[in-house]
Amino acid sequence: MSPAPIILVILLAPLVAVTGCLLTRRPRISEYLNLTAAAIVFAAVMRLLPIALVGPYVFWDHYFIVDALGAWVMLTVGTVYLLASLYAIGYMRQINEPSRLSPFYALLAGFALTMLLAPLMNNIGVYWIAIELTTLVSTFLVGFEHTREGVEAAWKYIVIVSAGISLALLGIVFFYWAGSLHLGPSYNLTWSTLRSVAPQLNPTIALAAFLLVFIGFGTKVGLAPMHTWLPDAHSEGPAPVSAMLSGALLNTAMIGIARFIGVTDATRLGLMPRTVVVVIGALSLAIAALFIARQRDVKRLMAYSSVEHMGVMTLGFGFGGPLGVAGALYHMLNHSLNKSLMFFGAGDAMHAFHSKRIGRIRFVLSAMPVAGVLWIAGALAITGAPPFGLFLSELTIMRAGLAGPNAWAVFVMLVLLVVIFVGFLNHFRHMYFGEHPAREGPGGAWTRPRGTGFWCLLPMWLAAVPLLVLGLWWPGAISHYFAIIAAQLGGGLRP
Amino acid sequence: MLAAHLPPLAASLFSLLAITSLLLAFVMLGSRWLYEYMVAFAVQSWLIAFLSAAIAFYGDYPELYGIAALTALFRGLVLPYLLLRIIRRLEIDRELHERLSPSSSLVVGGLLVVFAFVVSTHLGAALGLGGTVAVLALTVMLSMKLIGFLMLIVRSEVVSQILAILVLENGIFLGSQILVPGMPILLELVILFDLLVVVACFGVLVRYLLVHAGTSSTRELTRLTG
Amino acid sequence: MTRDILLQIAQVFTVLALAPLLQGIILQWEERVQRSQGPGIFQPYRDLWKLFHKQLVVPETASVIYWIAPVIAFTCMLTVPILIPVLTNFPLPLSDMGDILGGGLILTLGSFFIVLAGLDSGSAYGGIGSSRAVMLGILAEPTLILVFVGITLLAKSMLPFVVNHLLVSQPAVYWSPAHIFLVAAFFILLLVETDRLPIHSSTHIEVYMIEEARILEYSGPLLALVRWASAMKQFILYTIFCNVLLLPWALSIRGLALGALGAAAALLGKFLLIAAVVVAVETTQSRLRYYRYQEPLAGSFLLAILAIVANQMR
Repeated sequence: MSPAPIILVILLAPLVAVTGCLLTRRPRISEYLNLTAAAIVFAAVMRLLPIALVGPYVFWDHYFIVDALGAWVMLTVGTVYLLASLYAIGYMRQINEPSRLSPFYALLAGFALTMLLAPLMNNIGVYWIAIELTTLVSTFLVGFEHTREGVEAAWKYIVIVSAGISLALLGIVFFYWAGSLHLGPSYNLTWSTLRSVAPQLNPTIALAAFLLVFIGFGTKVGLAPMHTWLPDAHSEGPAPVSAMLSGALLNTAMIGIARFIGVTDATRLGLMPRTVVVVIGALSLAIAALFIARQRDVKRLMAYSSVEHMGVMTLGFGFGGPLGVAGALYHMLNHSLNKSLMFFGAGDAMHAFHSKRIGRIRFVLSAMPVAGVLWIAGALAITGAPPFGLFLSELTIMRAGLAGPNAWAVFVMLVLLVVIFVGFLNHFRHMYFGEHPAREGPGGAWTRPRGTGFWCLLPMWLAAVPLLVLGLWWPGAISHYFAIIAAQLGGGLRP
Repeated sequence: MLAAHLPPLAASLFSLLAITSLLLAFVMLGSRWLYEYMVAFAVQSWLIAFLSAAIAFYGDYPELYGIAALTALFRGLVLPYLLLRIIRRLEIDRELHERLSPSSSLVVGGLLVVFAFVVSTHLGAALGLGGTVAVLALTVMLSMKLIGFLMLIVRSEVVSQILAILVLENGIFLGSQILVPGMPILLELVILFDLLVVVACFGVLVRYLLVHAGTSSTRELTRLTG
Repeated sequence: MTRDILLQIAQVFTVLALAPLLQGIILQWEERVQRSQGPGIFQPYRDLWKLFHKQLVVPETASVIYWIAPVIAFTCMLTVPILIPVLTNFPLPLSDMGDILGGGLILTLGSFFIVLAGLDSGSAYGGIGSSRAVMLGILAEPTLILVFVGITLLAKSMLPFVVNHLLVSQPAVYWSPAHIFLVAAFFILLLVETDRLPIHSSTHIEVYMIEEARILEYSGPLLALVRWASAMKQFILYTIFCNVLLLPWALSIRGLALGALGAAAALLGKFLLIAAVVVAVETTQSRLRYYRYQEPLAGSFLLAILAIVANQMR
């Protein structure tokens, strides 16, 4: 069965939602339009997964590709989009600006559209443009609340990411140039073309090109030291947007890196590119650990946790092999679920306590009993505690690393994960079981917080339950799926 | 590839255009006046358009004529016009607080060019292309990249930052015209269009900054740290 | 052989004799452009003549440096013309003593002794002048070296005669961006080194002085020597600029007397051209503040780097 109709559905649903939200000025219609689109996208992506398994489909003049890796990332995007759309209904109503809801949902659906587009792109140049488009749309979501901080974050976001990603374009031009020495001046630079010409590429230029591409897309992924935009953007956007940025957007850039690692495996570069990837991944973990330990803002805490988990995934792809790829991909899905849960909880806490300062959030359980339990369960999960999915995926990545040549990174990773575990949960200890409500700053009086509504609780349940299930039971079908992806990525480094 | 066998006249024409574009990047780096930046950028774009046309002529790539025309139109006219509108709205016409004086940034820029020179010489030698116009294009491309980043670092007015990003793009565009003139035309068109959207987004954001942050200088954007 | 030796002496003599004339012409043209009468073009000769007949007043604090500095500076300026193509386009017997770098070194030695002399008498203005001159030298030196590197890369040689021949025989090299940028970089250096705007320092206000402040303590014949040496330095730099870089034509090829005379005449013609440009720059530019002196030099540095980069493609 050809995946083309499903792809059409996946792309058309958000598009209809965008136009619908732009046409109507009724906030309720926009809400449900967006939600319907998200549900359709999620269902279609679930339908796409088994089809994509059969083999890479290339259609529409080689510009589109449906493969297992792309479908997997689309699954994370679709999941987070659905969760965020649900949560947005509850969250955005509390902001109490009904006239701006329609543009918000139009932007949200447009953002989802660009993120669904990126994994489908077969031509590397067009993939770059899709990534660039995600930046442009999400900038306005980051700055949506029109606060001084929000606009500042949006500006830093677009400047740093545009500048960074232009390096990736340079790297792509280098790859094209290196390939043109063997394939003639004009050809389509698709992933498969690049992989097939890779063994002939000149190693020096291939290394330069890979480094540029890695730095460029690494900026978008939020790897240290190019992560500086990430805490700002993720902390200043509305909570559903933060979830989308963290749980979906970063993944769409991550598959670019994964595919380029597959390409460099086929070149004559040897271990060098993988070592670079592992070093940067470990560095991201280290930077995140330092900033998590001394964080004062609850949403920035979550943002640095994203830097951490992107580092973990990068380590997984960097270690490579079937196990590394499987761990990284499993981690991707778990992180998407978990980070959505965390940002939703943070959004609830923000609304309840009217502050993002950790010092102002106290006795969370008494303020929001159900959401509070889910949130702290998510906090346990995101630090890699056992009964949840991230524990399994991190363990898998470590096993993959120990088998490979960069085993030192596993020990670094282990130590840093412990540091993060302590630092992260310490903040939650304060927020849940702290001594007394802190009275710092102007107007520091601790008000009785409001409760959490149905629309805010539902997506949290929807995120938390699968997270627990995925931690207790790794489905065999998924293992098979990952094995195929690893094979398509080149099956790791050949000696 | 194109650069390996060119008539000498074409090679010197290409190199002259490339180096002059680089010089214009330095004009931006060495000036304090936003208006001058914009003019320098426009002239640079026209030079690149001319380069595209020259490559189309000497390398027999007829579709590059179209790219040349579009480059001149978009990068040479529309983008400068949009920028001019932003500058007019800002009511500010120069960099007030530079982190590095223009002459120091010129010297730093010069050192960056030396770095790009060394890198591209190595790359050119690795590919056996030493002494061709390809190596020069590589140098200019990397230099403009580095200069764009330098401008991002030392300049704080929002317009300067937009222009710095445009210099980054111009560098890539210039280099890719010489290195890979056969790049699919669709890609180049989309990148041109993408640039337009980027600048439009920046324009909107500048208005937000003015209204909600009350400033047009990134020096004032210091709320988010840690 | 005798002919070559004679030619070499003629080169030195040309510089010695025509240097004040060049100074006079530039000074007169500047005034003319500003619509005033201006001194005659032979005024520098009259000044020198007058100074040589004046009494010598020596400060009490002066040491031996005070006495030898003008002589050394003058000797240096007499040495450099031996090394460079002033009249002939072929090397003369002693031309192989040094290359462009050697010539630059000797020129710098002359300036260095004037700096020492400025410090020697212990007067405040001499100290200021010397320190500023050294500062300017520090700023200009890297650029100068880079220009030399650029020339070397262009011609694969540091001998001025080789550069001259290359530029004459290969128009492609002459019109290459590398050469054009080198000319531009050197022109800025020329303005700085010969004390022209935008770094004009020969005013009579002590606060702005550089060149003048260093020699405030000199009088009579010693002052004449210093002045003459500085005029010769200007002449030498112009010669290098014209005969090596910008206008490498119209030099004596066979070394006949007529050719040498023609070359001298042509040299004057070239200099008038350069002087016209310099006068135009002086008229359009205003003097920079001391703390902005680095700007033209940074520009020159940059042009030299671009020239080196442009050399990559050959």
